Amino acid sequence: MDTLITCSVNGLVLSAIYILVALGFSLQLSIMGIFNFAHGAIYMVGAYVTYGLSVGLGLNPWVSLLLSVILVGAFGLFVERFCFRPFQSQITRMIVMAIALILILQTAVEVTLGGVTRALPAFVPGILRVGFISVDAERIFTFCIGAVLMASMTYLIQKTKIGQQMLAVAQDAEGAALQGIDTHRTAATATVIACATAALSGSLMATIFSMNPFMGDNILLKAIQVTILSGIGSIGGILAGGLIMGLLNAFLPVLTEASIGELITILIVILILLIRPKGLFGYELF
Amino acid sequence: MLLDITSLTKNFGGLVAVNQFCMSVSEGQIVGLIGPNGAGKTTVFNLITGVIRPTSGKVEFDGKDVTGKRPHTLASYGIGRTFQLTPLFTEFTTLENVVASYYLHPRSSFWGAFFNTPTYRHNEAFALEQSLKILDLVGLSKVKDELARNLPHGYQKMLGIARALAVQPRLLMLDEPLGGMNMDEIAFTMDVMAKVRRQGMTILVIEHNMQILDLCDHVVAINFGQKIGEGTVEEVRNNPDVIKAYLGEQNVA
Amino acid sequence: MPIGSSPKQRKRITSIVFYATIIIFLALLPQLGLPVYPMHTLIGVFIWIIVASSLRLLDLSGQGSIGHAAFMAIGAYTSGILAKFLGWSPWITMPIGVLATGVIAFLVAIPFTRVRGIYFTMVSLFFGIGVLAVNQVFSKFTGGYSGIGSIPMLFGYNKTPYYYFCLALLVICLSIIYRMEHSRIGLTWKAVAQSHAVASSIGINEAWQRILCLGVSCCIAGIAGVAYAHYYSLLTQETFSFNTSINVFVYMTVGGPRYFAGPILGTAALILIPEQLRSLREYVPFIFAGILLIVLFLMPQGLAGLPDQFRQRFARSPKVKSLPAEEGVSKRAP
Repeated sequence: MDTLITCSVNGLVLSAIYILVALGFSLQLSIMGIFNFAHGAIYMVGAYVTYGLSVGLGLNPWVSLLLSVILVGAFGLFVERFCFRPFQSQITRMIVMAIALILILQTAVEVTLGGVTRALPAFVPGILRVGFISVDAERIFTFCIGAVLMASMTYLIQKTKIGQQMLAVAQDAEGAALQGIDTHRTAATATVIACATAALSGSLMATIFSMNPFMGDNILLKAIQVTILSGIGSIGGILAGGLIMGLLNAFLPVLTEASIGELITILIVILILLIRPKGLFGYELF
Repeated sequence: MLLDITSLTKNFGGLVAVNQFCMSVSEGQIVGLIGPNGAGKTTVFNLITGVIRPTSGKVEFDGKDVTGKRPHTLASYGIGRTFQLTPLFTEFTTLENVVASYYLHPRSSFWGAFFNTPTYRHNEAFALEQSLKILDLVGLSKVKDELARNLPHGYQKMLGIARALAVQPRLLMLDEPLGGMNMDEIAFTMDVMAKVRRQGMTILVIEHNMQILDLCDHVVAINFGQKIGEGTVEEVRNNPDVIKAYLGEQNVA
Repeated sequence: MPIGSSPKQRKRITSIVFYATIIIFLALLPQLGLPVYPMHTLIGVFIWIIVASSLRLLDLSGQGSIGHAAFMAIGAYTSGILAKFLGWSPWITMPIGVLATGVIAFLVAIPFTRVRGIYFTMVSLFFGIGVLAVNQVFSKFTGGYSGIGSIPMLFGYNKTPYYYFCLALLVICLSIIYRMEHSRIGLTWKAVAQSHAVASSIGINEAWQRILCLGVSCCIAGIAGVAYAHYYSLLTQETFSFNTSINVFVYMTVGGPRYFAGPILGTAALILIPEQLRSLREYVPFIFAGILLIVLFLMPQGLAGLPDQFRQRFARSPKVKSLPAEEGVSKRAP
């Protein structure tokens, strides 16, 4: 029973993180086809910037978090303009560009802060007790932030003008351009949002689990898995897909060996690619 | 009866694109399939050549039931086709496009090609020689080393026909060969078609442009996926339904 | 073209002479006193060129894979396990390893070639990771994360025989790839890559051709894998990881996937340059990234495309065959 609760909580927390990262990733993908392979590295940088500011410089953790989100979000502008726009619709070269970016970011972190695995102190320390359940407050906090962000992004995309523009570009970039929408600015907005949420997710993850310069590699794969599972075109789909992936990743290692669990997840993803490339909930994938 | 189509039907979800379509082509004929835009002509083509599967109906080629078979199988039976859009290997030169199309006849084996056997070399020499002849026939000899994607539109369509001829088909299916051509190019293309027919080829041509009728022995008219008329050129030209279909379209446009 | 016009044949002979010279030079190096460490590095370069070239062969048919290291792994582990635990001679287990790679490649090719383009690339990505997961699942045999060590080596501890062995393998594999590419086999694959519809219409079973291409490409990767196993004698989870697959992909892309020499130049540059600058230690990845950026932004056709790039830049006038408006297709050529 205890394990069930731990697993469920972990599952929900992981889901929240996966959803946030996958949303950012698929947002960039659906708008101007930006395959941001470096999304994981940016997630990692967000965690390290927060670390550097709070532990390194001694700033207030919340301020550090906020600054990290802003700085990394702003970095997204640079990334979109100089790393992805030049290689539009050349996925091969975009991947190589992303590899270069990952190398630079990872090495920069390694030479400045060192490659040792660390932990970021929790933003909300302590343990919550509800009845017979005791959960890290940090995990509850993460889940809540995740939920709030998801709701905000849904609202942003469906109800605001910028969101409508993003939807338009995602469906038909040429048509949107003819309507007077600045497609590049829309792509930049998407990248900024994606990077900001990645920074936030990275920082949160660093408090719950740990952080090292390579934490982004794994999360990138998870983001791609969720995107394939859900398909693009439906935020609800990403929510559902992220939830499934989070729960799978929390429960499988307990039910079977960790490696078999991973194998099962991979098989599911491959099957989806082969049989239903659109994803379970989306309109199209790539 | 080289090609025989019976009750060919295709449903896309709720939309009936082709409805109980029947048609036949005799050896040595030039048959035109005409109709306004969106009438279903290319769908019929794709159904015959295996690009899409029919919902029901039968396609017989040379006595064999070829309904729903894959495109490469139909090519091996002797059907060559052109495409309306993206009809070429864009990264190849004009000559390479035609030589590449000599895949079926003569057929070289994988190991023959790998070990450069005499048979293979003979096949390749034959393919090259024939390709040059075809390019000559269609008037593209001068641009044989030009990249296909650099060719002007009319040349590209001509190259599509050259490519289809390399398959050495018994039935040549042309999808809107006159599309986007100027008067000179149209005259030349129709000239080539006549020449090829004189050499014994059977041709089924989709065309939106009524000028093609001058070449056809037999015409089938289609609209909204259904046959609306059939017969000699005169008969179809004077068919009131056909006239309405075209005039009606012009009125709407 | 298999039997082409003279300029193409002349170009081909020039290429062959050029490559022969380089091979002879490389073969002479140990005799001229090549020290051990550079020899060790070059052996690695030879092996990775084989893999990068096999990846390029696959790319000819329009299929881009970022999981190719997995096929190296299959060959390497099969051969390594048989040699180490059953005591068979590596000369017997190596062909078995390549065979295993081929069989598995053809088996997975059948479902995997159902999808194309970026979907195929994603499938290859997860296949690569999947093979690693399988490695972990069967860690009893494969040693899991820490892998297998002390795999029986081909020759003794002297590196020179390995150098010649890998150089010979490289020449053989590259010759195979070259022959395929420049024959109707390659022509057919390139046709499939450009247009499935047109390829089908001329009788090419494009699904089967893609399977064939994938199978051949993976077999060659398997050859590199078995060579790796019996030289380095140690295989771990990291050896054939996702990073490895991506590295090979980068070698090919930086070198220029449209050119035969692309994977050769890309691999050599991206291994040898950082190696030369290894004194920079933890800053070496910056060098690697730097090379990537230079090629990405300044050499759109890759390293091997530089000659063409210069030729296009300094061409006297654009060689556009302007077809006068009046000269329609109706004018027959004189």
